Amino acid sequence: MEGLGDLFTTDLFRSGVRLGTPIILAALGGGLCHQAGVLNLALEGKMLLGSFVGILAAFYLGSSTLGAVVAGLAGGVMGAIFAFLYLRYQVNLIILAIAINLFIAEMTVFFMRTFLGDVGTWSDPSIQQLPDIPLPIIDRIPVLGQMLSGYNIVVYFSWAAALAMYFVLFHTRFGRHVRAVGENQQAAEAVGINVPRVKVFALVISGVLCGIGGAFLSVGHLTLFTRNMTNGRGWIGLTAALFGQNHPFAVFFAGGFFGLADAFAVRLQTTTDVPPSLVQFIPQVLALLALILVALRVQVRVALARRAFRRRAQREIAAQEAL
Amino acid sequence: MKSRLRSRLFDQLVIPVLAILSGLVLASVFVWMAGTNPLTAYADMFSTAFSCEAFERCDLFTTLQLATPLMLTGLSAVVAFRSGLFSLGQEGQLMLGGMMAAWLGYAIQLPPVIHPLFAMAAAMLIGGLYGLIPGILKVKLGVNEIISTIVLNNIANLFVTYLINFPLRADQSTTAHSHPILDSARMLPLAPGSKFGIGFFIAILAMLVVTLYLWRTSPGYEERMSGQAPFFARYGGVPHQGAAIRGMFLSGMLGGLAGAIQALGVHYRMLSGFSGGLGFDGLTAAILGQVHPVGTTVVAIFFAGLRQGAQVGLQFTSRVPRELGGGIIALMILFVAADQIYRANLDRLSSLWNRLRRRPAVREAA
Repeated sequence: MEGLGDLFTTDLFRSGVRLGTPIILAALGGGLCHQAGVLNLALEGKMLLGSFVGILAAFYLGSSTLGAVVAGLAGGVMGAIFAFLYLRYQVNLIILAIAINLFIAEMTVFFMRTFLGDVGTWSDPSIQQLPDIPLPIIDRIPVLGQMLSGYNIVVYFSWAAALAMYFVLFHTRFGRHVRAVGENQQAAEAVGINVPRVKVFALVISGVLCGIGGAFLSVGHLTLFTRNMTNGRGWIGLTAALFGQNHPFAVFFAGGFFGLADAFAVRLQTTTDVPPSLVQFIPQVLALLALILVALRVQVRVALARRAFRRRAQREIAAQEAL
Repeated sequence: MKSRLRSRLFDQLVIPVLAILSGLVLASVFVWMAGTNPLTAYADMFSTAFSCEAFERCDLFTTLQLATPLMLTGLSAVVAFRSGLFSLGQEGQLMLGGMMAAWLGYAIQLPPVIHPLFAMAAAMLIGGLYGLIPGILKVKLGVNEIISTIVLNNIANLFVTYLINFPLRADQSTTAHSHPILDSARMLPLAPGSKFGIGFFIAILAMLVVTLYLWRTSPGYEERMSGQAPFFARYGGVPHQGAAIRGMFLSGMLGGLAGAIQALGVHYRMLSGFSGGLGFDGLTAAILGQVHPVGTTVVAIFFAGLRQGAQVGLQFTSRVPRELGGGIIALMILFVAADQIYRANLDRLSSLWNRLRRRPAVREAA
C-alpha cells in the first residue's frame, strides 16, 4: 500500500489547486450567470480569449500580472458584447455562444499565425511566469502552509472571487435582485427590478472571471499560447457550476474537485498503468448524477405539495359536510 | 396571402444570404489585415472549394466528403430541434457510433457489403440509445437537455479515449488509435485523390428520409407538433412525451451514422481527435439552414467548402491562415442569429420607400 500512500501527497494537492484554478474561475462565472437566469455556454471562448490576450499583454506591457488584468478586461468586454447582442437584438444565447466559441478558437490561431510568425505555439523568453506569493501567517503553519500558501495571485483571486460572490449574492440587495431574476424573471420585472442591468452585470463579471482563468493557463501555469489552449476547461467549468448548484462555495469545491481529479489522473499516468481517463470520468458521472438527483428532488417536492394540498382540500370538504 | 409568402421567403432565403454576405464582408477586414486583397483571396477560396479539374483531381469531391459528417450531424440536430429538444449531443453520439463501427470493422468477419452495413446499423443503434438518455431525462424528470448533452459528450469522449488508449489500442505510436478495419468493412472512395465515396449518398438519402418522415408521416407530424406547441399536442391527444423521446432516438441514430461513415469510409479506424468539432459544425449548419433538412444539407456543403477552400485556396495560394474559414463560419452564424438587425433596418427601409412612393399620390389628391 506504500505506492498508494505516495499518491496522496501535498504535491498532489498543490497541483490539484493549480489545475483547478481555471476551472473554478470559469465555473464561478458560469454559476453567476445561471443565478441571473442566463445560460452562458461561451465560457470556453472567453477563457481562450483570456489566454491569448493575457500572454500578448504580458509581452507588450512587460508584466504578467498586468497581462492577467488585461485578460480580465478583454473577457469583460466580450461579456459586454455578448450582453449587448443578447439584450438589444434578442440573439439566441446558445447560438451566440457557439458562434463566439468558434470565432475565438479560430481567430486566435489566425492572429497568431498572421502577426506572430507562422507557428502553432507562441512564446517569448521575456515573458515571466506569474510569481508565487507566500501568504503572511498561514505560510508558517506546518502542513496547512504547504497546502495553502505559495501560489500565484490568480489562485488567491479565485478564492477571493468565491467569497465575494457569496457575499454579494446572499448578503446584498443587488444580490437578491440577481437571484430573483434567475428564479422568476417576470416576477422580478413586476416588482421593478432592472432585469437587463442584472443580466449585463452577470455576463460582464463572468467574462472577467473567465478571462483571468484563461490568463492563468498562458502566463500562470505555462508561458506560452497554443492552439485551443483551454482544451474544454470552459465546458468542464460549466459542468462544475451545475454540479455545485450555482452556489459559490459549492461551485468552488466542485471546480477544485475536478482539478484534483485531473491532478490525480496525471499522477496515475506517470506512476502506474491505471488509465487516467477513468479518473477524469468520475466527476463527469457525478455531475450527471447530480443533475438527475436535483430533478428528482424537484419532482418529489411537487408531488408532496400536491398531496398536502389534496389532503387539506378533502379535510375542508369533510368539515363543510359536517356542518 | 402574398405578403405572407413574401415574409416566409424573406425568413428562409433573404436573411441567410444577407448573413453570409455580412460574414464575408466583415471577414475581409481580417484578410486585408493579413496583407492580401480580399477579393482575390475569396476568389481563390471559392474556386478551390467548388471546382473540378478532372475526375482524378477534383476539389469538389473533397468538399462533398468533408460535408458528409456535417450533413448527418446537422440532420441529427434538425430532428432533435423539431421535436422540441435543443440537443447538443451530436458530438458524443458521433464518437460512440464511430467507435462501434471501427470495433466491429475488425473484430468480426463478414462478407464485403454486409460488413459495413452491419457496422453502420450497430453504430446507429448505439447512437440512438445514447440519444435516448437526455431524451428520457428531459421528458420524465425535466433535466435541461442542453446541460445533460454537454456532460454526456464529455463522458463519451473520455470513454472512447480510454478504449483507444487501453483495451483496443493497436500499437504504441504517438497518437492512440484502434486497429485498422478489415478490407471487407471498408467503404472505398469512388474517385482517386479524395475519400469521396458512398457515404455522401447515404447522407443524401438520410436527408430525403428525414424530410419525408417529418413532413409526410403522422409520427413525424406528432414530433413537430410536440416540439412546436406541446400544449396543443397534448390537447389534441398526441402522446407528446413518446414523440420527443422518439425524436431523440432518431437524432442519436443520425449522429451515430455520421461517426460510422467517418470510421468506415475516411479514417478506417478510431483515433484520438476523431471528431474535431464535427458535432458543433453540424449543429451550426442546422441553425443556418433554418432547421430544415434541405437547408441544412446545402449549408453543410457550403461550410465544408469554406473549410476546404480556406485550407487549399487561402493557405496554399494566398498565404492567409486557413483558420479564417472557421472564423467566417462563426460570423455567419452570428449574423443569422442576430436577424433582428436586418429585420429592424429593412422595416425602416421599406417604410421609407412606402412614404416616398405615397407622397406624389397625396399631392395629386390635394
